[in-house]
Amino acid sequence: MKTKTILMAAGLVLASSAAYAASWTGGDDLPTNPLACDGTAGEVAAKPYDGGVPTNAPDRNGKKITVVDVPKLIGVGYFSATTKGQAEAAKELGNVDVKTDGPTKANIDEQITFIDNYVTSGVDGILFAANDPVAIAPVLKKALAAGINVVGYDANSTPDARQWFVNQAEFNGVAKSLVDNLAKEIGEDSAFAIVTSTFTTPNQARWIAEMAAYAAKCHPKLEFLETVEAQEDNVLSFNQATTLINKHGDKLKGIVGMTSVATPAAAEAVTQSGLCGKVAVVGLATPNAMKPYVEKDCVKSVVLWNPVDLGYAAMYVLRAAADGTLKPGDTSVKAGKLGDLKVVNGSEILLGAPFVFDKSNIGQFDF
Amino acid sequence: MSLETATIRRSATTGFAARTFATYGQEFIILACIVVLFVAVGLIAPRFVSPTNLTTIFVGNAYIAVAAIGMSMVIISGHIDVSVGSLIGVLATISGTLAVSGYPVWFAWLAPVVVGMVVTSFIGVLVAYVRIPSIVVTLGMLSILKGGLISVTGGAWITNLPPDYLIAQFRLFGIPSPVWFMIILTGLAAMFMRYTAFGRSIYAIGGNGEAARVAGIPVERTTVMIFAIHGLFAGIAAVLFATQLQVIQSTVPPNLELTVITASVVGGVSILGGTGTVVGSTLAAILFAAIGSSLIFLNVSAYWLRAVQGLLILATVLADMARRHRIG
Repeated sequence: MKTKTILMAAGLVLASSAAYAASWTGGDDLPTNPLACDGTAGEVAAKPYDGGVPTNAPDRNGKKITVVDVPKLIGVGYFSATTKGQAEAAKELGNVDVKTDGPTKANIDEQITFIDNYVTSGVDGILFAANDPVAIAPVLKKALAAGINVVGYDANSTPDARQWFVNQAEFNGVAKSLVDNLAKEIGEDSAFAIVTSTFTTPNQARWIAEMAAYAAKCHPKLEFLETVEAQEDNVLSFNQATTLINKHGDKLKGIVGMTSVATPAAAEAVTQSGLCGKVAVVGLATPNAMKPYVEKDCVKSVVLWNPVDLGYAAMYVLRAAADGTLKPGDTSVKAGKLGDLKVVNGSEILLGAPFVFDKSNIGQFDF
Repeated sequence: MSLETATIRRSATTGFAARTFATYGQEFIILACIVVLFVAVGLIAPRFVSPTNLTTIFVGNAYIAVAAIGMSMVIISGHIDVSVGSLIGVLATISGTLAVSGYPVWFAWLAPVVVGMVVTSFIGVLVAYVRIPSIVVTLGMLSILKGGLISVTGGAWITNLPPDYLIAQFRLFGIPSPVWFMIILTGLAAMFMRYTAFGRSIYAIGGNGEAARVAGIPVERTTVMIFAIHGLFAGIAAVLFATQLQVIQSTVPPNLELTVITASVVGGVSILGGTGTVVGSTLAAILFAAIGSSLIFLNVSAYWLRAVQGLLILATVLADMARRHRIG
């Protein structure tokens, strides 16, 4: 009886293989909006302002303001970098006093307490990166009601709980950057595969769907073989990437990692298979995990955003909101050395195209 | 004498062939499944049985097989450890931290084994002397280890590992070291379980703790030692896990405890204690790795792996219950 049951289970695997003979792509079924092939800005459907407005805010135009930055947590490289960008912008502006203060671990309750204390003690502006978009909303609304200017970056709250949100990268922008870099490294007539967390992880599925749409539009000869899942587990990611190499052999010219876990693991798989230079790895990852592979020339481009620029932009947006030079309905905002940044999706400000880390610049980042 | 009867009673009335099958039946079935899987998938996708892919299958899950050896002993003795995944995550982080802090590599390899044994011995003491059920102790330990790891490391990864620390990337006679660890440790453990008095007392405690006590086995002390041995294997598994790549992700690998327990149970270790072998659990770990790899070659969603694992657990537990009913 036992033998039969186990063999039946084995048979089920084989039978299901017939049913699912087509490769899995891992994208979602939502509509896609691929950007133009040549880098011109994509079409953005105009959407009315959906952010909040501070109640009876004093006239802060040109006056010195005190700003507190409450990131998800402090003490990690990523938010040290955003703090650095804010300090840089504050120095350029000359009339902003900014400091970063927040929980030492990414905890929404602690973050709310920090913000609440600053609302009570009185500041002119609050910058935040939310640990939870919904849970943080009430305390931010309390800040708006107290006449404080509120701007988010990195991780959003519900729109009506802050004035503006600085969005580091849009899905179609990330997809374009990944596919363009991949095509540049492996050529137009090559085949690639993707390692993702799971097919149902919303961000990853969105990026993959946008990648497929952009590749079909701008690099039609690129062959998208399949997507494999590896959760957020680096040894599993390594095994899955190695299995892709074993399965496709010489045909596989590139692997795209969709998570900061999968990308270094894929680079390691290529390294241990002795295929550096033959199989390209492109992906979303943080610079620290990728440095060994970039420095050994095994990986050429790592796509993410520059957190220093993100903090810098957030500071300029907050100043513009406090000055009243950035109002609901505006379509762009001036952000110092970054130039004019676009307003998208009602009340979000787009940082711009994703940042590509390569051998020339990766050493300057520590997160 | 009663120790002997506890283990042999079941097969005393049957012939040699039946007795062999009763002891190793599950192993034969798993082995047959592995062979069938390799042949079937190899026919559909020949690259599946290429040497490089076979290496990937064996190396990638060797640490699970090693952890499953200790887990099998714990389950055979009638207990369980649901914290082993977190323990391996913590031990791997300790090992990697020592390696990048400039300690000699042998120390970075040895420390997780020692710490692992200390932690599991502590679990063993709570289980054996304080008499808290092992599932409760290890659920608590799971939270402590998981929470502690995130608090201490903040989720930061360990990079810049020294090259000579990466023991899982070494090869001997062309075969990667994790495969050697898996084969040799399974062989040693199997002989230990079968031919030493201590090994047999593990079965005796799991089969009938009171009978074992009457037979003169120091049940408490033996239980603590079983947990200590389990920690030894968890430590070795952690070193293999930590040295496979050039970075260590300071988090607990998702579902690792489940995979290890599943390997033991599907390998024929009775969840009710008393029976099973470590050869079976190692074969089951290999079977899972092979199924996982075959899903990619057959273009099947990885979700099926969990479904298949679940089916295998249900099938083996049902078969185990049926067998016990027939005999009992």
